[in-house]
Amino acid sequence: MTRRLSRETMIKWAPLLVLIALVIFFTALNPTFFSLRNFARIAIAAAPALMVAVGVTFIIVMGSIDLSMEGTVSLTAVSFAFIFAQLGGSLAGLGWIAIPLVLVIGGVIGLLNGLVHVKLKIPSFMASLAMGFVGTGAAILLTGGDIVKVSDATFRGLLTVRWLGFPLMVYVAAFFLFVGWFIQTHTTLGRNFYAVGGGEDLAHASGLNVTRVRVTGFALAGVFYAIAAMLVVARIGQAESVTGANFMFVSITSVVVGGVALWGGIGGVWNALVGVLIVNVIDNGMVVIGLPDFLQDGVLGLLVILAVVLSTDRKMVSFVK
Amino acid sequence: MDIQRLKPHLPWITLVVLVAIVGINDPGFLRPSNLLGIAGDIVPLFIMALGLTFAIYIGGIDLSAQSVANMVTVVASVYLASMGAWVAVFCVLAGFLLGMLSGYVTTRLFVPSFISTLAVGGVAFSIAQWLSGQRALNMDATQRNETFGWMIGHTWGVPNELLIAAVLVAICLFIERRTTLGRALKAVGAGELAAAASGLNVARYKILAFAISGALAAIAGLLFAVKLSGGAPTIANGFLLPAIVAVLVGGTPLTGGVGGVVNTVIGTLIVAVIRASMLYFEIDATRQQIVFGIVLIVAIALTIDRAKLRTVK
Repeated sequence: MTRRLSRETMIKWAPLLVLIALVIFFTALNPTFFSLRNFARIAIAAAPALMVAVGVTFIIVMGSIDLSMEGTVSLTAVSFAFIFAQLGGSLAGLGWIAIPLVLVIGGVIGLLNGLVHVKLKIPSFMASLAMGFVGTGAAILLTGGDIVKVSDATFRGLLTVRWLGFPLMVYVAAFFLFVGWFIQTHTTLGRNFYAVGGGEDLAHASGLNVTRVRVTGFALAGVFYAIAAMLVVARIGQAESVTGANFMFVSITSVVVGGVALWGGIGGVWNALVGVLIVNVIDNGMVVIGLPDFLQDGVLGLLVILAVVLSTDRKMVSFVK
Repeated sequence: MDIQRLKPHLPWITLVVLVAIVGINDPGFLRPSNLLGIAGDIVPLFIMALGLTFAIYIGGIDLSAQSVANMVTVVASVYLASMGAWVAVFCVLAGFLLGMLSGYVTTRLFVPSFISTLAVGGVAFSIAQWLSGQRALNMDATQRNETFGWMIGHTWGVPNELLIAAVLVAICLFIERRTTLGRALKAVGAGELAAAASGLNVARYKILAFAISGALAAIAGLLFAVKLSGGAPTIANGFLLPAIVAVLVGGTPLTGGVGGVVNTVIGTLIVAVIRASMLYFEIDATRQQIVFGIVLIVAIALTIDRAKLRTVK
């Protein structure tokens, strides 16, 4: 029992220690790494990824996985750009209506995802991967392969207006991180995620409607992907069918490296935050100390294997597909 | 007739019906030269699907196939000048080793295959970007024709790609039907615990399955590079979805154990006909991805063996 406890303590704190070690490491190699300007740069890069990571965290806590984020982010980003333009193209005017609308669209996409997974009884990684392809396909269909510009100054203020050195989008992301934390710890839904992830049979036997919890989880993740999509659009000022590219790899890596166990039931949004920061600090730090950025995917790949290996209790797993 | 008894025959019935529908609407589609052309064009995709068949047959998945193929297009373009024909051996070996790595991580380190292959795919992508300097590369045309020209010509009116595909099918079919490895893979796919209990070295066979998948993904990449006379780190993007679709509509379920090489041949032909029919019915190419995504969901839902999944995660 003591071994298990120590293991859990280790898993709980290891990611944070890794993050601190990385910051010290990069600062030692190049002191300019440790500056407000550079931290702002990391925060801007991390904000959309954090929203995707928080969304997928709920799913992974349930023991499922969602690989649809690339399609969902692309589709919601493109939808946002079009609706925003239709409503006058200004946040000061009617344009703000686009924001709740796109959140709903994200939720509906997630809902479909969950329904395909639960109702057709398809393993979530494949159901969501396929739905992700459909999402990207829909984004291509809407744009015809073109780029949709969003140049409203008020909306771009998310990037350009700064408080204490950090752009507004960082605070928006922080706010929704707290929302995620609130859902996780202070709502029945949040507790149910852990119940399903900790042992589905047990949760079912205690009268929990597991199907509904799963579908709700996917819908909730979809809403967070929509937030991520709008932050990306605010950051780069445009939406296209590849807006969501690479989010899958980066967000799954972040969540797993942050210490959310793939088997479900362990970890939460703070792990997602630490994981996203680890990934972005590595990404940024490699550039700052002059290493080529193309090593990033390889390093992340090895890191994710390492993280899964460390977080797996080998005695509990008989075999793996 | 019982649906369960009809199920194994659904793939080829689907294929015949699809061909008939397109053929009635456009008789030109059924011309032998047209059919051969369509079949020849799909060969790189088919080879990747053939590899994926092994990974899916044992109940796993290989999401690195596309990245491995990407990497190989770059490796082939970079080293053709210095290595000559040996570059082919080098590429296949690289694919085999990356597949082994996926298999090792999956079986010995207990990482689910969709994550381990995704991670190994990340490694392959990094290698491709590093070797290519993040640019698209071209092969020297004369050298390509001297070394690999035989891959893309015609013999008696048949595209050479089809002959290559036929040879690979024969080899894979031999492995599946006539070797201990093939029987062991079937045992693992049908029931991993039972296979382990009867003394089979499950981990070794699973590693081999992923390695075969990697090697075939590499051959797919090599052929693609020769066809396009060049390579780039993202050139084969868009292969993964139709390749998985090909395996699953062919009737090899995600849960493994049944189906196999012949099914993937039929599945790939279905994919080819769907693609071609979209042209004939003037469905915009931008809709292709949606169609394949939905076909994928339907195919999984129809084929998956739910008795094997105690809880669907």
